[in-house]
Amino acid sequence: MLRWVLGITTAILFAATASADDSYIVGMTAGLTGPTASTFAPVAEAMRIYFDRINAAGGINGKPIKFVLMDDQAEPQKAGANVKQLLTRDNAILLINSSLSSTFAPSIAEAKRAKVPLMFVGAVCPKEVYPPAEGGQYCTTAFASNFDSRATLTFIKGTSPDAIRIGFAAATIPVSRAEIDFAEKYATDLGMISVDKELIAPTTADFTPFATKLVEAKPSWVYSWAAWVIQVQLFEAMRRLGWEGNFLGWAHQEAEDELQRLKDPHLYVIGANTLFQEHLPVQNEIEDAATKANSRYPANQMSEGWIGGMMVEAALKQSGWPADAEKVQNALQNLQVDMKGIRAAPIQWTQSNHFRVNQSYRIYNWDSAKGQIVTAKDSLSYEIK
Amino acid sequence: MQLIVNILVLASIYALIACGYVLIYRVSRVMNLAQGELMMLGAYLLLTTGSVFRGNAILAVAAAVVLSTCCGILVYIFLMRKMTGGSVLAAVLATIALGILLRGFMILIWSAQQQYPGQPIALVSTAIILPGGARISTFAAALVAVNALAYGSLFVFLRFGRWGLRMRAAGQNPLLAAQRGIKLHGIYALAWALSTLTGSLAGMLLALDSGLTANMAVLGLKAFPAALVGGLDSLLGTLIGALIVAAAEVLSIQYIDPLLSDVMPFLVLLATLIVRPWGLLGTREELDRV
Repeated sequence: MLRWVLGITTAILFAATASADDSYIVGMTAGLTGPTASTFAPVAEAMRIYFDRINAAGGINGKPIKFVLMDDQAEPQKAGANVKQLLTRDNAILLINSSLSSTFAPSIAEAKRAKVPLMFVGAVCPKEVYPPAEGGQYCTTAFASNFDSRATLTFIKGTSPDAIRIGFAAATIPVSRAEIDFAEKYATDLGMISVDKELIAPTTADFTPFATKLVEAKPSWVYSWAAWVIQVQLFEAMRRLGWEGNFLGWAHQEAEDELQRLKDPHLYVIGANTLFQEHLPVQNEIEDAATKANSRYPANQMSEGWIGGMMVEAALKQSGWPADAEKVQNALQNLQVDMKGIRAAPIQWTQSNHFRVNQSYRIYNWDSAKGQIVTAKDSLSYEIK
Repeated sequence: MQLIVNILVLASIYALIACGYVLIYRVSRVMNLAQGELMMLGAYLLLTTGSVFRGNAILAVAAAVVLSTCCGILVYIFLMRKMTGGSVLAAVLATIALGILLRGFMILIWSAQQQYPGQPIALVSTAIILPGGARISTFAAALVAVNALAYGSLFVFLRFGRWGLRMRAAGQNPLLAAQRGIKLHGIYALAWALSTLTGSLAGMLLALDSGLTANMAVLGLKAFPAALVGGLDSLLGTLIGALIVAAAEVLSIQYIDPLLSDVMPFLVLLATLIVRPWGLLGTREELDRV
């Protein structure tokens, strides 16, 4: 009996080792549950679907991708422990983080120690990825600190020759506050009048008190760079208070459905990803894949994860077989992937730029006459040096 | 005027959630730290009943209310019943575990994305203009009304109702109450049912007003100071506590710094604990047993 047990255990261990040695191991820590799950869970789901499709089609360089996904609940300690486990237990050759910025430090520290590249997908891009980039961190996420606000405020400035009264709203997390602080200063430089700035906790029960203060300041525009829930709940609270001004927020994954739900022509969103109403071939592909995989998230929330999948696929393809962390790192430093229209420009990583060379924005809003979402402004492009 | 309305709405949210803490604590001395998750469960149940009874708001809300109440009873039967008579700390830890479990299950079943239970049943939040020019959304107004109704009913029930009297007796001296023929398990199950019901009502109305996210459960924690400030064994105290906490939060947003608003309930709580640890209307001897 003991021999049987030992035999079976050895066989399982051998099989596990063999399968691990015979595949590209990609590890991901993501905020699948916890306060920011609505942002990160669809990213992880899209990546899983993407890798499943690759494996079903024969893998990369003839080898499958072993995708190990772990939940960190957007907590730093859990993210650090996850990355450690992905490195030591699973021997991941590429790591992915899709979680709150507070999880970045422990993830980066562990990845640096093991000299394994770390990609940020659907999460805020850390400063390490911008030129001059240091270390092995890369980022595919659409939003870009400071550039988002520059594009937004340039658009707003162009809507009126007069001095514009503008209000701001941020979440009480460092990355959002820093962006709105930058935006407030930039708006003043552009000749706008900053009338109020609200910092809103994600745990807010009622947004009306914040909306009341903003409405009392009589802004003609409000700009918010925060989680979608904060942006939209603040906007709706302001509308209920009778405010009729313009509101511009970041086009998170939920934006397309929400613009259609609210049908408010004065609600604008700015983003780098193309909305699914364009029906690009790649978007149809995502929709088919999501339907086949019986996804719990709508396809139009999967662009970020899909882009992450495209970058991983290209990097692993370029790394060849057998691959290790060093080969993947070398591949990532010299990578250019056509986004097939999901983004206006390709994502290109170089030795000193782990973000992208070109960042291009579009602004959307609802057109009541046409009964659909329209592009309010196209091709707001920036070269990232 | 708008400030007063804002304070009233926030106080109603906190009071309706905190009511659940008090009901269970009064009867069993257990702090139910899964109240936020049970509140969120109520909102998700409305999402489900809304898609089942599409277009029929009354039926959907009624079904969600019944299901939520049943969930409270089931929690008692399958989890808390086994803790009866045991360590209070173990029971509190069990509620924490229940909360974690519920949060995970809810994301697995309903996903983490933002959802709107009002959509399938065609309930839309609009603004009501009050005298003085203040505005309130329809569901926020409903929240204030439901809160008043819930507290009013509970006062009558606990003071004049037969089962209310039994609940009070079980809370004051469970051993004596049991010896007098009061079925403690029935009383405790009723407390869990009522507690889940009030929490769920808050969850449903909040979700109808501004949507439903997987993050809603944290509001349970934010309402906790209201119960402690007022006194954990006093419903009237909880109402007053909720008003104080809400006023502090709203006024800090308006006049001090919006950043303070998130910590304001806990600052008020700390101040109360220093001056009057058993809460404004709480019983001193009761707190010694916490």
